[in-house]
Amino acid sequence: MLRPFIVLNQPLLTAAAATMLVASLTSAEESTTFFRGLNLNGPAVTIDGNVWEASDSVNYICKDNAFEQQSVALVPSTDADRARMIRSSRWGGNRIELTNVPSGTYPIYLYVWEDNNPEIFSILVNGQEVESRFNSGGTGHWKRLGPWYTDSAKERIVLTSQGGAANFSGVEIYRGHHEGIVEPPLAPEKLAFFENRIRPLLIEHCYECHSSTSDDLQAGLLVDSRPTMRRGGASGPAIIPGDVEHSLLIKAIHADDDSQMPPDEKLTASEIADLEHWVASGAADPRSDATRYVRKKIDVEKARQFWSLRPIADPAVPTTVANSSWASNEIDYFILRKLEEQGLQPVVDADERTLIRRVTYDLTGLPPSPEEIHNFLTDDSPMAFERVVDRLLDSPQYGERWGRHWMDLVRYADTAGDNSDYPIPAAYLYRDYIIDSFNADKPYDEFIREQIAGDLLTPVDDADQNENTIATGYIAISRRFGSVTDRYPQHLTIEDSLDNIGRTMLGMTLTCARCHDHKFDPISQEDYYGLYGIFQSSRYPFPGIELDKIPKDFVPLVDDGKPSETLAYAMADAQASDAALQVRGDPKQTAEIIPRKFPDVLGGQMLAQADAHHSGRLQLASWITATDNPLTARVMINRIWQFHFGSGLVKTPSDFGIRGTPPTHPELLDWLASRFIADQWSIKSMHRRMLLSRTYRLNSFDSEPAESAATRRAAVDPSNDLHWRFNRRRLDAESLRDTMLALSGDLDPAMGREPHPFPPADKWEYTQHHPFRDSYETNRRSVYMMSARLNSRPFFTTFDGADRNASTAQRDSSVTTVQSLYLLNDDFVYQQTRRFAERILSESDNDDERIDLAFELTSGHVPLDDQRLATRRWLAQINAELRQEAGADEPKQLALETWSAFARVLFRVNEFLYVD
Amino acid sequence: MFSHAISRRNTIRSLVGGSILFPGILSELMAAEQQSSASSAEPLAAKPPHFAAKAKRVILVFATGGVSHIDTFDPKPTTNGRDGEGKDKLMGCVFGTKPARQTGTVVSDLFPQIRDSMQDLCLIRSMKSAHFDHTEAAVGMHTGSATFTRPSMGSWLSYGLGTVNQDLPSFMVIAPHLPYGGTQVYASDFLPAYHQGTRVIPGQEPIANLTPRTPRRSLQELELQLADMLNQSHLQSRRDDTQLAARIKSYETAFKMQASGPEAFDFSQEDEKTLEMYGLQSGDTKSFAWQCLVARRLAERGVRFIELVDSGSRPNWDSHGDMQEHVPLAKASDQPMAALIRDLKQRGMLDETLIVWATEFGRTPTKEGKAGRGHHGDCFSIWLAGGGIKPGTVHGETNDIGQTAVSDSVDVHDLHATILHLMGIDHTRLTYRHAGRDYRLTDVHGRILHEILA
Repeated sequence: MLRPFIVLNQPLLTAAAATMLVASLTSAEESTTFFRGLNLNGPAVTIDGNVWEASDSVNYICKDNAFEQQSVALVPSTDADRARMIRSSRWGGNRIELTNVPSGTYPIYLYVWEDNNPEIFSILVNGQEVESRFNSGGTGHWKRLGPWYTDSAKERIVLTSQGGAANFSGVEIYRGHHEGIVEPPLAPEKLAFFENRIRPLLIEHCYECHSSTSDDLQAGLLVDSRPTMRRGGASGPAIIPGDVEHSLLIKAIHADDDSQMPPDEKLTASEIADLEHWVASGAADPRSDATRYVRKKIDVEKARQFWSLRPIADPAVPTTVANSSWASNEIDYFILRKLEEQGLQPVVDADERTLIRRVTYDLTGLPPSPEEIHNFLTDDSPMAFERVVDRLLDSPQYGERWGRHWMDLVRYADTAGDNSDYPIPAAYLYRDYIIDSFNADKPYDEFIREQIAGDLLTPVDDADQNENTIATGYIAISRRFGSVTDRYPQHLTIEDSLDNIGRTMLGMTLTCARCHDHKFDPISQEDYYGLYGIFQSSRYPFPGIELDKIPKDFVPLVDDGKPSETLAYAMADAQASDAALQVRGDPKQTAEIIPRKFPDVLGGQMLAQADAHHSGRLQLASWITATDNPLTARVMINRIWQFHFGSGLVKTPSDFGIRGTPPTHPELLDWLASRFIADQWSIKSMHRRMLLSRTYRLNSFDSEPAESAATRRAAVDPSNDLHWRFNRRRLDAESLRDTMLALSGDLDPAMGREPHPFPPADKWEYTQHHPFRDSYETNRRSVYMMSARLNSRPFFTTFDGADRNASTAQRDSSVTTVQSLYLLNDDFVYQQTRRFAERILSESDNDDERIDLAFELTSGHVPLDDQRLATRRWLAQINAELRQEAGADEPKQLALETWSAFARVLFRVNEFLYVD
Repeated sequence: MFSHAISRRNTIRSLVGGSILFPGILSELMAAEQQSSASSAEPLAAKPPHFAAKAKRVILVFATGGVSHIDTFDPKPTTNGRDGEGKDKLMGCVFGTKPARQTGTVVSDLFPQIRDSMQDLCLIRSMKSAHFDHTEAAVGMHTGSATFTRPSMGSWLSYGLGTVNQDLPSFMVIAPHLPYGGTQVYASDFLPAYHQGTRVIPGQEPIANLTPRTPRRSLQELELQLADMLNQSHLQSRRDDTQLAARIKSYETAFKMQASGPEAFDFSQEDEKTLEMYGLQSGDTKSFAWQCLVARRLAERGVRFIELVDSGSRPNWDSHGDMQEHVPLAKASDQPMAALIRDLKQRGMLDETLIVWATEFGRTPTKEGKAGRGHHGDCFSIWLAGGGIKPGTVHGETNDIGQTAVSDSVDVHDLHATILHLMGIDHTRLTYRHAGRDYRLTDVHGRILHEILA
């Protein structure tokens, strides 16, 4: 079994953290002892003072080929014994079985090197991947990989590699909790040389452009600390201790061209000699704490003056309004006060039929049945509407409707989005999780926590653990790119994760800062890479891709405490490490390492040292859901408002930054956000609050004569920002399709609980030439339809469905000719209207009753008398028209054709397509 | 208002004739909207360009799969002497070559008729793609972004200029098969949906749902008439809503498109000589010649952006195993494309129509498999003709084996900037605010290729 480990060859980041680290090291080292070293191809050697066994040791089994190339110059260079050990190695097969290892915990290191071309491979210990896609580098590069904490099983530990050809040189095993740093104290004479000759030289000639105090750091290189100097900047390590020839700093001080350093004046011969001597003698340097260059000096205090970054206020309800009897609840006072400030009053309330149709579509995406309408109309209690709201919130269709809103935001899809668009059969588990979470009124903070870090939460039982695992499908469904696994652009997948977290949960456009500090918002490139490290330290499941078709790294669900065969497309922690800043967003050009953290303007929280061996997703989730985070509650409240009222208090629901628009009702937004947090982030409580307001009941148009106040309302506030009326909305794609199916009687109301009928994974041969293009039909609700990233269904693109590749905060409601052609001529419309006509004919023998029923089902209203009369005449005319058709003289057939024509009309009228 | 008897004759007249159907409110709304220019009732109404345009419309021919520049428009016969050289096995142009009669530009025998039209073309031999996977390169060629979905070039032009014929979509894509990248290549993404490409699939019903399903047309008219009456009474009390008005109007457009759409695809009025010029057999809708003649007809009818996808699925231009696979594809497209240029010229339309022939990338100068070539993004050839380009020119040059551009490298953003420029659009000013940012087709890039402008 593997345990988490701390990577201490990473630089230390802050003085405080460094102190903590040193303290923990000291205590840890006491219990650590060297156990065994194995030179896999060659004689016994002494390395770091420890005696290693030769390749004939009986303490391991390895059948790989032996290979030696002692003439290769190592990068970095190293002492003779180590170099000899490294340059003689084993390859082919790549399996080493360590034997005679008594049970216990062992930190293991593996030396690997490259004799010719770079290879990419992964290392596994006892079958578990511990090093993912390591790049061996060019000729001569070597690395001491590890430590990997390993428990010996049956006295054996097996090391293997996968992928490119790896050269295994040696294995180094400790007992206990060795942390990997072997740092002898500096000799006094070396320390004196550094302090007297080197430090002053660096300060005088280099710090101006290459230190944490530089105005404009050059090439990402900091020479004001040991770790940053050895790690180097954009061009690589500045110095390699003991290796004058390969140290870039020495090259630069000798250069005669543009690369000369310092650029204005060459160093003196004695200064050059001092630096060469220093590097040659091991570059002793007491400056052990890594420094850090803060690129954009964001004035956090100033930035937090911006409306969305101010703490959430809890303003008093403005009860001093003129028309106070109009208000039903607190929301109405906020709305009314703004209206009265403009000298306006709201329009009248919508009639009850309009209201029940409005709220039923709003909460379920389906029309009310005539029976539900009737019950509401005949319920005289003042609680009648509240009872409707509660009934709808309790129905499973609520989760299907509001889950779909969330799926829009998290760009849910059943395929990965790579060039071949690999299917993700397990994605539906996450879809169902979303729907169930809404139905269960899961607190919003918990909902976020589970989706970002469910795998890291402590479950109460198996069901809880499975739910938490599945929830991380949110991160897992981040887009995949291209066709290859070698040089897979992981930075783009991580960008997609960060982009979505930023927009969906924080209303921030974080990813502008991938390549440069955000031009408008107080987000620096450091903020971006501080978050990036968290996802670089996480393992994404692999859905399969053209050149590696086998899915892997899915997470098994548990059954009775044991892993089951059901796999979730979910996240796990990987080797934890901070990320290097990528210059201009180019992963090949890395600069300084940025500690994992939350953006400064939101608090700048960092991982505690004790948590550094985790990815940090759990901490990120807690930072996002902290009650003093000014954005999370505001952003979600605004979304709920937008879905209920048709437009948000903030019109740019996923951009609460400078380029977004400020709220029309800032006090109301904050008051609601405060209630949201006080109500334990209950979404259903918030629905009730909004739906039971008078504002929600307003008519969607001004019915007063044009000469009266009506014209003033429209003139003062044409876009209805002040909510003097309700916003009429077009049925979205899902509601339209589901309604047609519901009215025809073809809708299968079952909730989706099984995977889509994808072919089995071992049959997948998808390539970019033959990408996955299947489309599965179903009579279930649209939320359960398989949705692919690269091949959208024409119906959904025609009616402004959600983008499967990017977060959709608000659906368009376009009016296009293609839509009208669809409603005029599409086969599906013809089938559904025919079935609808059959239903109307079967429910009554009386034409007037049939007309009324058809109207009521499609629009929620019964027709006016003259509409009914005109319809009857029209039906007669149609009937006469059809009778001219050959074969249409059979009465039953004729009736069906006639009423089908009528049904087609009703599916095209605005009273059906729009919700008042 | 429903008391009077329904007169079918009136309805038909109004539907066909246009505005008679919409007295009172609707025409007021339309007029008001047109004045404010941000028309939601007529969202595709033609808009003025930023400056005088050279071209009024674009025909993009997209040869998907990656056409080998070395075997077509940038032949490297000199490599012949070095065939097999190097560990990667250099391979020169495997077809015969000849200089074009008027310009002397050397083109391979794969495109003899286009070669004869070189005096009308501007050939770019220094095109560059940052990607050498089909999907990224194809999506990049259309949208300027290979990894994140963005609106297609046709959608941007529809957004920027609208269209003159409201009875047909502004952006039409004739694609027997989807190219790499699927529907993304003609998606409007964050631009409103009416700017998305309408796919035309050669065959009985080129545009989806264009054929009335009612047993007789009069029945559909009656249906529309009742819907219209109900919609008018609904609109009466909701005077503020231009969307409702636009919806009513869109049925009128759809009704008319049922007639004008098929008419655009009906070749019965084309004379023998024209069909012969394109190499089109009567009744054939499957060939690339059909696509080219449809392109001319759509151009005549004012469609803003017409894209022809040349062989979306395999076999396409992706000749990994054998360059001879290029032969039938070239044969299928050479004559009709040359005919399209000639046809437009004869009709005086070439000057105002920009034709762009492009592919997603070129192919390697080295051999792959038996006698094929791999993907190559560092240099490849495309050509333009018509509206505002300098005819008879060659822009850019590649090295002796066709591996890299040695002068005047052109990337996809430069091409987009130039196309927009020819259409009278400043690519830095055509922006759309989405998710907190102003987006452009050319992102932060793009250089107008003034060298190739007439």
